[in-house]
Amino acid sequence: MRKGTDVELLQNLGDTVGKPLIDGDSRMSCSKVDVFYNNNNQAIFDISVDLGKNEILAMIGPSGCGKSTLLRCLNRMNDTIEGCKVEGEITLDGIDVYSKNIDPVLLRSNVGMVFQKPNPFPKSIYDNVAYGPRLHGLARNGAELDDLVEESLIKSGLWKETKDRLNKPGTGLSGGQQQRLCIARTIAVKPEVILMDEPTSALDPIATATIEELMYELKSSYTIAVVTHSMQQAARISDRTAYFHLGRLVEVNETNKVFTNPEHELTENYITGRFG
Amino acid sequence: MWLEDIESNMNNTKIVQASLKKRYAKERRFKAYGIFSISLSLLFLSFLLFDITHKAMPAFTQTYLKLDIDFSYKNLKLKEGSRYSEKELFSASYRQLTSKSLYEIFPEVTNRKDKKVLRNFVSSGAQYNLRDLVIENPSLIGTKKSIWVLADDDIDSFAKGLIDRNLPESERRIKDNQLVWIDTLEADNRIEKRLNIGFLTQGDSREPEQAGIWGAIKGSFFTMLITLILSFPIGVAAAVYLEEFAPKNNWFVDLIEVNINNLAAVPSVVFGILGLAVYINLFGLPRSAPLVGGLVLFLMTLPTIIIATRAAIKSVPPSIREAALGVGASKMQMISHHVLPLAMPGILTGSIIGMAQALGESAPLLMIGMVAFVADIPQGFMDPSTVLPVQIFIWSDSPERAFIALTSAAIVVLLIFLFLMNLLAIILRKKFETRW
Amino acid sequence: MNTQDHISKEYNDELEQLRAKVLNMGGLVEDSFNDATKALLKGKVQLAREASKEDYKINALEVSIDEDCSNMIALRQPAASDLRNIFAVVKIVTDLERMGDESEKIAKFTAELSTNSHSMKFYNSLKSLVQNTREMLSAALDCYARLDAEKALEVLELDNEVDAEFINVNRILTTYLLEDIKNIEDTIKVMWCARSIERVGDHAKNICEYVVYIVKGNDIRHVIDEESRQGREK
Repeated sequence: MRKGTDVELLQNLGDTVGKPLIDGDSRMSCSKVDVFYNNNNQAIFDISVDLGKNEILAMIGPSGCGKSTLLRCLNRMNDTIEGCKVEGEITLDGIDVYSKNIDPVLLRSNVGMVFQKPNPFPKSIYDNVAYGPRLHGLARNGAELDDLVEESLIKSGLWKETKDRLNKPGTGLSGGQQQRLCIARTIAVKPEVILMDEPTSALDPIATATIEELMYELKSSYTIAVVTHSMQQAARISDRTAYFHLGRLVEVNETNKVFTNPEHELTENYITGRFG
Repeated sequence: MWLEDIESNMNNTKIVQASLKKRYAKERRFKAYGIFSISLSLLFLSFLLFDITHKAMPAFTQTYLKLDIDFSYKNLKLKEGSRYSEKELFSASYRQLTSKSLYEIFPEVTNRKDKKVLRNFVSSGAQYNLRDLVIENPSLIGTKKSIWVLADDDIDSFAKGLIDRNLPESERRIKDNQLVWIDTLEADNRIEKRLNIGFLTQGDSREPEQAGIWGAIKGSFFTMLITLILSFPIGVAAAVYLEEFAPKNNWFVDLIEVNINNLAAVPSVVFGILGLAVYINLFGLPRSAPLVGGLVLFLMTLPTIIIATRAAIKSVPPSIREAALGVGASKMQMISHHVLPLAMPGILTGSIIGMAQALGESAPLLMIGMVAFVADIPQGFMDPSTVLPVQIFIWSDSPERAFIALTSAAIVVLLIFLFLMNLLAIILRKKFETRW
Repeated sequence: MNTQDHISKEYNDELEQLRAKVLNMGGLVEDSFNDATKALLKGKVQLAREASKEDYKINALEVSIDEDCSNMIALRQPAASDLRNIFAVVKIVTDLERMGDESEKIAKFTAELSTNSHSMKFYNSLKSLVQNTREMLSAALDCYARLDAEKALEVLELDNEVDAEFINVNRILTTYLLEDIKNIEDTIKVMWCARSIERVGDHAKNICEYVVYIVKGNDIRHVIDEESRQGREK
């Protein structure tokens, strides 16, 4: 374990410790990613990490550590922020997502995103789920679209609760149901990767538990990257955990390793509540 | 130790308690100020409304005189015959019909001067009404019929009690002999007050009893139509561009933003001068036309609509935009599917309020000649016309006493239109409002 | 082991209190073992009787520390070094309690033994075993107090010596058994005592292993045994 005061540790932050890269096939892979905001304000420094197939990668770290920024780079949501510049390489199934001939709209249909606040459209439950498939023309006719909506709602565990009121507004659901509706909306587009940005921070513990259970089930079909402020949540749901600190990726390891015996002292300080 | 704590606590309680009274007094005082200012403004408003409606009341009725009209060939100055072309009927003389009838009622009036006064009991427009009557029904010729004709504005004012008969003769517009005649007519049941339909159906006139605001209403309608057609799409498009597409932190965009905000505060008369210089002098568009008026008001309304639309677009929660982008909507899809529908209530409200402002605007229209006297009712965008507020301005400037009532009545009509537009804004907002 | 303070001062205090309690318990166990072995070596019946009565304090502390630990796990959700620390404390406390039991056993046997004063002569063979075990116990507790993993690894090795001493004592006692059939009962009791002392050494070894686990995070239990077994096989 690296020892020293926080300041010393920060000054000597070298390469990421642990196992950021995985041996087998990876679904997404970041290599030497730097992100700058306006006027060369660097938000992320030299981050390399892999997302394996069918795994949940939890990203933890104090506020402003760059975990959300990295997450938003993965489906180019950062494109909408002006003055945001991404360097390095991010690949999805070996294809550079920032190359010129990749359309961000296409990328986002492959890399879906679920946000912090449940944000269903102010439309009916059906229209919420059907929105993505309609946009991309994934269903050839109404019956196919119905099937797709049903399948997505079943996968998100919302079918039983909503099958009798598909035409009711999605905003009338409870917070947890709304978030599951958002997940259904995301998986209706049939992505390979789902990014979740603090998906349960606005929910009560029971709703949180259902979302976590849903994530566990989704793991068999999707790769999931989740940013969370709750270390317990990261511990509960993820296969690997990445700890970010001031724009640097300090450590990536198997979750049980990180939570019992982290390699880096900054990680240790953060997860034991000594961060100061 | 704990004793001291309790003591200091009690001390604190006392201090707080002492200040409480003061604080509550302050609160009550502030409430009282608020109630006072609200009641004061309500008082002024109700005074204004009361005053205007009170003054406007006379304009909604008109005085008619019942005269026995002799449609003889002689009086009409027509050759005896059985059939007349419309042209012949049109050019026949109707001027003397009413005068002769009046002379018959008052045979004692022989003096030339008095006769003239008596003749003027009837509105100068009455002869045209008679003409229309004859053209419509030529069988009237050669017959004698009692017909209600429009009275002159002075008689009208007197009949409505606006002229005090107890004043000395020199201070009153109705002289003593006129008083006697009016009383005689009244005794004969020849004077009657009727609802003034002409006020809403006729164009402007120099004679108050014939003046109406239909021309101004139509002029306003054409002007507003032009303003709406131009300013709504252009304003919304500009706002969408500025809010969603324009680069942030760019000096040029900032400059445009500052200028739009400033434009909203520019005195409206400046837009009139601009319109005069550009539309009329440079482009050679006709003066007094609703087209030009609409173009000028479009300039004036545009910043208001842009600002309202931008505010409405800004208030759409970013989470909705992210959600749309997150499932792979393009920027344009995000805007047209989500942002605009959600911003629509705000946009509509802002636009309608902007339009209402334009509807009440007179200064810039004065500059482009919409203040001209236009008796004809405009039929299109290029016809010379005037608008409601300018009509009010014209009438308020007219010397005849009856125009006071007309001015107020026109104000009432304008206020009703403004009220309806604001009501529409509220209804649209309620209808389109989506909760999220 | 992380030396930086937690953001929550209360959590810090709780961990500090826990450590103090464990050290206190360690002290009691050490005293009880020292008294029992002193009575055994010197044949002091009175001391042995007193020592056998002290065990309830140790048991009470074990219960109390276990409760503290479960409370902290439930309320603080400790992670990483804190988790290892608390987890190790639970184990250390069990070992300490067992040592207390062994000491009690020694004291009880001693109290019974001393009635036959002539059997004093073979106590001397125990002296070295007791000495090494005492040192080991005190060193193990010291390692925990200072969370010194390097020292703990050294102390671990002492167990081999203790085991060797025990085999030696066993051999001597076996000889006594053959020589002096009349005192077979006493000899067996002394053998029980020797075994208890050896067990205390084993528990002390466990404590050292836990200290290494707290500090380094890796579990070395049975690893060394396994290595040496493999080494022997080669």
